[in-house]
Order: sequence, then structure tokens, then C-alpha cells
Amino acid sequence: MTAGVESGPLSELLASARPGGWEALRDAAESRLAHRDADLAPLGGRTLRTAPPAIPPPASADAQPYVHPEMMATRQVFVNGFHASHASCATALPAGVRFFPISTASEACRLLGTLGEGAPDLFEDLNSARFTEGAVILVPQNLRVGIPLHLLFLNHAPAAGEGSLPAVFPRVLVALDRGAELELVEEHHGEGAYLSCPVVEIRVGEGAVLRHERIQREGAEAFHFGALRAEVAQGGQYHSRTLSFGARVSRQRPRLHLAEGAEASLDGLALLGGTQVADTQSFIHHAAPHATSRQLHKCVVDGQARAIFNGSIRVAPGAQQTDAHQQSRNLLLSATAKVDTRPQLEIYADDVKCSHGAAVGQLDPDELFYLQSRGLSPEDARNLLTYGFAADLLARIPVASLRRSLRHLVLARTQAASLGDLA
Amino acid sequence: MLSIKNLTASINGTPVLKGIDLEIKAGEIHAIMGPNGSGKSTLGKVLVGHPAYEVTGGVVLFEGQDLFGLEADARARAGLFMGFQHPIEVPGVSNAAFLRLAYNKKAEAEGRDELDPLEFDDFIKEKIRLVAMREEFLDRSLNEGFSGGEKKRNEILQMAVLEPKLAILDELDSGLDIDALRVLGEAVNRLMRPDRALLIITHFPRILETLRPQFVHVLSGGRILKRGGPELAVELEERGYDWVLEEASAGRGV
Repeated sequence: MTAGVESGPLSELLASARPGGWEALRDAAESRLAHRDADLAPLGGRTLRTAPPAIPPPASADAQPYVHPEMMATRQVFVNGFHASHASCATALPAGVRFFPISTASEACRLLGTLGEGAPDLFEDLNSARFTEGAVILVPQNLRVGIPLHLLFLNHAPAAGEGSLPAVFPRVLVALDRGAELELVEEHHGEGAYLSCPVVEIRVGEGAVLRHERIQREGAEAFHFGALRAEVAQGGQYHSRTLSFGARVSRQRPRLHLAEGAEASLDGLALLGGTQVADTQSFIHHAAPHATSRQLHKCVVDGQARAIFNGSIRVAPGAQQTDAHQQSRNLLLSATAKVDTRPQLEIYADDVKCSHGAAVGQLDPDELFYLQSRGLSPEDARNLLTYGFAADLLARIPVASLRRSLRHLVLARTQAASLGDLA
Repeated sequence: MLSIKNLTASINGTPVLKGIDLEIKAGEIHAIMGPNGSGKSTLGKVLVGHPAYEVTGGVVLFEGQDLFGLEADARARAGLFMGFQHPIEVPGVSNAAFLRLAYNKKAEAEGRDELDPLEFDDFIKEKIRLVAMREEFLDRSLNEGFSGGEKKRNEILQMAVLEPKLAILDELDSGLDIDALRVLGEAVNRLMRPDRALLIITHFPRILETLRPQFVHVLSGGRILKRGGPELAVELEERGYDWVLEEASAGRGV
């Protein structure tokens, strides 16, 4: 896999000099797992073992409903944790861009497990110890990829039964070399009862720009525990939006490390109903001066669902001129819905501009009245505002067909579909 | 069209309208003028059903119908419209989608055909020309990040889309430069018809040079202190409001 990669971090990534790079990662994760109880965690009354069974590969999988015209020929599809070569198509990749299943990568993808900081949690360790498949994306220096890449994970598991949950452990590594630019769409869809534990590792080189859309639409009986680690080098930019619609219980655990002058946005939306639980534990580390971060996290919670947001921002000593802004905004649609939000700022530098805020509530009566004064019934006005609250985060999704389909999903989930086609 | 008799209203228990009488007939343009805090905007908001205000007395008939028997949305569908001084921003809802929804809800109520997105596209293009709005504002979220003037333009666009029988325009001129004020004033004039009426709420007489009211009412302290024709607006421009207030307190007011 090293052919054609001449210099820079890419060659380091794929260097054959240290065979067993993955093994070291696995050994470390395995030894941490060994110190935990055999039954790792109760998941909705079911237990997860350190060696969960894999979901059996399906006889056939139809990826067609999930394919977007803009990304027809820049997609890699994984079904039940296996690379689905028949459903994948990467013929439109610009020369120099590498986008391939991790199983075909060199054993020495040395960057794996080295990015970011902080101890991995249980689920990340499980992934490191068990992953067999996933994707690697490499973009060489100064290459601006003009076409978005699509990473599609489909899971088809049996409905909830007895015994331990089957699980998938997708692993993704994205490395943008200096000055490179890329748009990446990462989607998780599924049905049945299973555990999905993806780990995404990202390195954004100096002055490089990565825009990352992440969509979680796992099945209603599924569990999704994801980790993301991103290192943004000097002057680099990482912009991500994580949209959580599915899963019975889900957790997103993004951790960002920002070098000098880096820019990041880490937006999130969770649209929950029934008894869904969605948890976001984010950490943004301003490790050096002049970095900027923006975080807008929104939750719309109905039924007896529960949303949790723990957003931590750390400004390291000496990280002067840090500009960090974090906002957690939550809409409760029922008396039994619940939101726990805890924005946290830890600042060890004195010349910084940092702010955070959290709001939990119902719809704004002034906004409701404004819409009513234009002839919308109170119910229509409520549904439209709820839709708007959530759809606000979709407006800047660059892939038109994806934006449109997500707007339709939000319309349906906010009872706003009766208002006609607002998408 | 609109008949207000001895209307009183309060906010948080404090009386703000203290007995308003006003008759507006089809084809008429009325102006309510007065110093800041006089209750001008309150009158408009009470008429369109703002929930912050409590109507404590009086009767208001709109087209012969008890206005206070209708919810705010029903009043709008019945043909009442208020262009607000400070329009609300609604992120996430595109201006075009909102306008089409509002149009279709009214069309539905009136038994007219609703417009699909393509038909609405043609319809709205004509309307945005009327208010000289750039097309890009249709794709943006409703009022989000609009300047004060752009919001006012959008209010008049909504008026043009909904074609109300009675439009109440609250401080249309605030936030507008002279050119924009002229464009919007002319747009409002072109929307005026013999079977429609206008109620202009304004602190400054400037707007009345374009929108020429036949009737001018001076409101202060929740009461109408003086009534007159267009000449009253001219006098207010020259002399300010103090003399009206003094006249009233001396017991020589209306």
C-alpha cells in the first residue's frame, strides 16, 4: 500500500518499518480490558461481554436507498462490519486520494491509536481490541478534493433476543496532509438489536481543512457508542456536525486537540423520542495560542427520552488569544422528557475570549405568536418552530441530497410533515 | 371594517389602554401618532391578539365579527395583519417555505387553491419585485440575521403575500433609510384598495408623506387625546407632541 506515497505524514502512516503496529494497539487495549469485569456494562438489561459475537453477514444488502447522487462513485460501504465491495464504488476519487478498507491497509498504520489524548473508554478499548474492518482516507499535500466522500455503515441484526448483544467495531482513520481539503460524510444506519462501537481517528495537517458530517440513524433497538479523536495541526480546520436520530442508547465522545491557530467547530443535534437516551461527552483542548472553537449542541427531546451533554473545553497554560464559544440549547417537548447539560470551561491562560451557555426550555412564546399572527394555528406554529430549531443545524450541510433527506426526516420527526414540503 | 368601542387593556395588571374609540371604514387610511410609550404599539398588538396583553373591557368588531372571540391565527386568516416594529427571527425555517405555508393556510381557510412550490415560485417573484427584495432573502431563514430594514421589507412582503383587509403597520420607518422607506411606502400604497384599510402607527410623521392618511389620532397615556385630518400630522411635525399633551391636561382635549 505504500506505492505512490513519497513523503510526509502519509509515508509515516504506511511505513512498513514497524510491523505489528496494530498489535501493539490491540495488546494495550486488551490488557486494559482484562482489568475490567467480564460483564462489561449492562445495556438496557442485556450484558455486553468482552468478546461479543459478530453480527452475521447478511445474505444480501441493499445500499441503494442510502446512496447520494453527489457521492455515487466516492463511497465505501460496510455491512455488519464487513466491507461490501459490491456496494462500494470509489472510481471518482481524484488522483492521489486514498480511500480504502482498513483490512487491506498495511499492518503498520502507525497513526492508529496515537491521535488525540486522554484515556480511551471501555468502548474505545473494545474497538481497539476487536476491530477487523473500517476505512482509511488519506489526502496528500495541498490537494483540495472537490467531491465529498461517503462512508456508509449499514447494520442488519436480528431483533432483540436472549444472550449477549452482537457487535460491530468500525475503525476509521482520516489523515489530511498539509494544505489538503476534504468533505466527508459518515453515516450509520441499521435495524435490529446490536451494538455499534465506531472509533474515528483524524489528523488534520497544517493549514488543511476537513468538513465532517456524521449521521447516526441506528435501529431503534440498537446501541451506538462512538469515539472520535481529532488532532488539528497549526492553522488547520476541523468542522464537524454530528446528528443523532437513532439507537435506543447512544453516546458520542469527540475529543479535539487544537494546535496554534487551528479552527474547529463541533456541532451536534440529537432528536429523541420514546425512551431514547443520547449522551454527548465532548472535549476540546486548546493546547496552543490563537485557536478558535465553536460548539453548538442542540437537543429536541420528546416522550420519556433523555439527552445528556457534558461539554468540556480546556485552555492550556500559554494558550493565549484562545477564542472558544460553546452553547447547549435544548427543547423539551413533553413533561417527562429530560435534559442534563453541563458545559464546562477550564481556563489556564489569562488572555482569552471564552464563553458558554446552556438553555433548556419550551418554545419561545414570542416566536409562537409571530407565526400565529400570520395565520398558522398554534399547533402548526409549534411544529414549525420545533422543526426550525432542529433544521437550523442542517442548513449548512454541503451535500444537497443529504440536506434534503435529513430535512424530510426532521419534518417527519417533529410532526411538521403536515405543513407540506418545507425542505 | 373595524369598530373599537371603549377598549381597555392591561399588561401584568397595569392598565395600558384606557378607553379607546376608533372607527375604520374600508378604503380609509388612519394614522395613530404619539410619543414613545403612549400605547400605540400596544393598541396594534391587542388587536392582533398578542398573549402578553389582557383585554379588560370594550368591544371590537372586525367586519361585524367580535374580534376577541377569535384566536390570533383566526384573526389573521380573517384578514387582519400587523407589520411588527421588531419582527421575530426564526432560525431553521426558510423564508420562502414560511411564506408559502402562510399563504396556503390562508388560501385553505378561504377555500381557494393552494400553490405548489413551483406555482408559489412565480407568485413570490412578483411580490419580491414589489418590495425590491433580493431573491437570496427567500432562501435564508425567516428574518435571521436580517438588518432592521431587511426585516421591515420582509414584513411588507408578508403583507403583499397575505393581502390583508386591514393592515396595521407599526413604526414601519424605524430602521429604514429614505430610499427603502419610499419603496416600501409605495408598495403599501399599491396594496391599498377600496375594500381594504390601513392603520399606520408611527412616532414620526415622515412616513405619512408617502402613506397619506385621511385621519390622524394622537394617542398618549393609553387614550386618544386629539383627532384630526392630514393637517394634524403636519402640525405635529412642526410643533412636536407637548402642546397636545398640555391641551389635554388643561381639559381642552378631545
